[in-house]
Amino acid sequence: MTTASAELGRARFTLRREPMFPLWSIFGVAAVVAILATYPLYGTEYVMNLLGMFVCFSIFALSISLIWGFAGILSLGQAIYFGMGAYFIALSLKLSYAAENPTRYGGTIPDYMEWNGLTEVPAIMAPLMHIEVAIVCLLFFPTLLAFIFGVITFKRHIYGVYCAVITLAEALILQEFIIEYQAYTGGFNGITDYETYNNMYFLWVILAVAVLLFGTSRLLTHSRIGTVLKSVRDNDVRAEFNGYEVANYRIFVFCFASMMAAIAGGLYAAWMGIVSHLDTGPILSIEGVIWAAVGGRATVIGPFIGTFLVKGAEFFLSQQLAWAWQLVMGLLFIFVVKFMPEGIMGTIGKSIAMGRQRRAYAESQDAYQSGPMAVVARLRAAFTDGNRGFMDNLLGRSGRRD
Amino acid sequence: MSGNILEITGLTTRVSGYTILDDLYFSVEENELRVLLGPNGAGKTTLIDMISGRYKPTSGKILFENRDITGMAPHRIFKRGICRKFQVPNMYETLSVFDNVMISLAGHRLVVQSLFHKHTTADQDRVVEILEFIGLVEKAGFPADALSHGERQWLEMGMLIAADPKLLLLDEPTTGMTEADKQKTAELIQRIAERHTVLLVEHDMHVVRRLGNFVTVLHQGGILAEGLLADVVANEEVRQVYLGQGKFSGA
Repeated sequence: MTTASAELGRARFTLRREPMFPLWSIFGVAAVVAILATYPLYGTEYVMNLLGMFVCFSIFALSISLIWGFAGILSLGQAIYFGMGAYFIALSLKLSYAAENPTRYGGTIPDYMEWNGLTEVPAIMAPLMHIEVAIVCLLFFPTLLAFIFGVITFKRHIYGVYCAVITLAEALILQEFIIEYQAYTGGFNGITDYETYNNMYFLWVILAVAVLLFGTSRLLTHSRIGTVLKSVRDNDVRAEFNGYEVANYRIFVFCFASMMAAIAGGLYAAWMGIVSHLDTGPILSIEGVIWAAVGGRATVIGPFIGTFLVKGAEFFLSQQLAWAWQLVMGLLFIFVVKFMPEGIMGTIGKSIAMGRQRRAYAESQDAYQSGPMAVVARLRAAFTDGNRGFMDNLLGRSGRRD
Repeated sequence: MSGNILEITGLTTRVSGYTILDDLYFSVEENELRVLLGPNGAGKTTLIDMISGRYKPTSGKILFENRDITGMAPHRIFKRGICRKFQVPNMYETLSVFDNVMISLAGHRLVVQSLFHKHTTADQDRVVEILEFIGLVEKAGFPADALSHGERQWLEMGMLIAADPKLLLLDEPTTGMTEADKQKTAELIQRIAERHTVLLVEHDMHVVRRLGNFVTVLHQGGILAEGLLADVVANEEVRQVYLGQGKFSGA
């Protein structure tokens, strides 16, 4: 094969690849962020509360999208990591709040600990009082747990439905654990009554983190490693026989997504001012899966759109259409699953990409079969491309006589 | 040892009581195009599975370039220089044709490498070259699942070439193809074999006649005959088990 034929290939076909960050998407994201960030200036506090919560949930859905949509790992326990992050921050805020605001009985430990007969904060929890320690824990421990989980399952070629069931069980175990050890975790009531960060500035923090993680995810999924992850999702056997150690890629993306979910959980705890066992359980996990699925699980923007749409509709409909909102939500899911199996953004993106590809193909065919450049290319190829007959090249025939 | 790139000694595979491969001795020379023949159930695909690391043999040894690869994980065997094609086209369905080949290019298999790897123009040129070679350059941007069956078979072969292995294992690449596509495929294999060692499992005798020089016939997990195609075809035993000369024709 000669380089000339490669040149010819390039002449005949220019690869249409979207840029990493298309201009319109940068403007789009900037516009949306600007609207959300300035909302507290003119909007109601109630809606602001919802917006902050939705963004946290969107980050969570994005983490599900990364492992499910891009790497093919369906986890029904992603809320474990969300919950871990949330509990680290809530605990930290609660501890420092309790130290400054003595309880009714004069104690300086969180009220729920007092009710459960503890007289001082357990030594293992005490360092969490410093928010810096809590943040480090939030980044480290969920990722470590994800890593251990990954090594145990993925290295043994456990994935698919089995993985979904195991993660679901994990979420249930953690939930039980939290309810059982209520002296430390607040049990069924969760942790509440601490200083919350529920203002415009913290909304900006949430938005900044969201944009950062959004950008990182886009970078990740549209670079080489993203392509490898997609190939693992499409056909792990082929990837294995193509020299990729599939388990390592799965572990990597699982750890990354778990850290992301933990960050979302941490922000959520600081924003909402209440964390309970529900935030670590299977229900939230499955809700996250639904948000990602509705928005488009194999896209980066999809989870945001899915979360805002589903969660927003939930709040809107439950007020306006109290008697039928669950029915409407159910119909929405059926509609999406039936007519948009790739989710809203997935379906749109796919049709755009396919149309672009068809046009490029048609153009390349036209350009190759007519026009002055085609003649030049053919002439050059006729003399340089030894793989096909001279006349074949000249006439643009395929050269393979069947 | 001689110039054998692949050396299999005493390979036995039993699956739940059935013996698939029975004390098999087999070797392939470097730069050879070896055709593996045999009726259904002879153990051809199992042999490929063993060499490529899909399953572990019950006993026996597989040496590749005089190094033991018996029972190693597929990605490690790949690293040594063996790449296989599956009987049913096996690729990354939603990735573009271009990406399918790009992802198969030699090198860069670790997570860290993938994380920081940037595709160079040389990589891109190499992919275009391969796409030219397999005749899919115009469809480079199409997802693999938009290809026809024949095109998918070629794409998978392109992916193998991209990996630039020392030994290619091709498991029935012409399955389900039209006669015309089969000829194209045969031509492709011929050209691949100019640069690589190829072990080819093939059923279609037209294709075998075109490609086959040295063939091995498997039967019930053992080697029945080995030699030049003409000799093997003339072999009475082979005719009986494989080429459809009825066993009872003399009766």
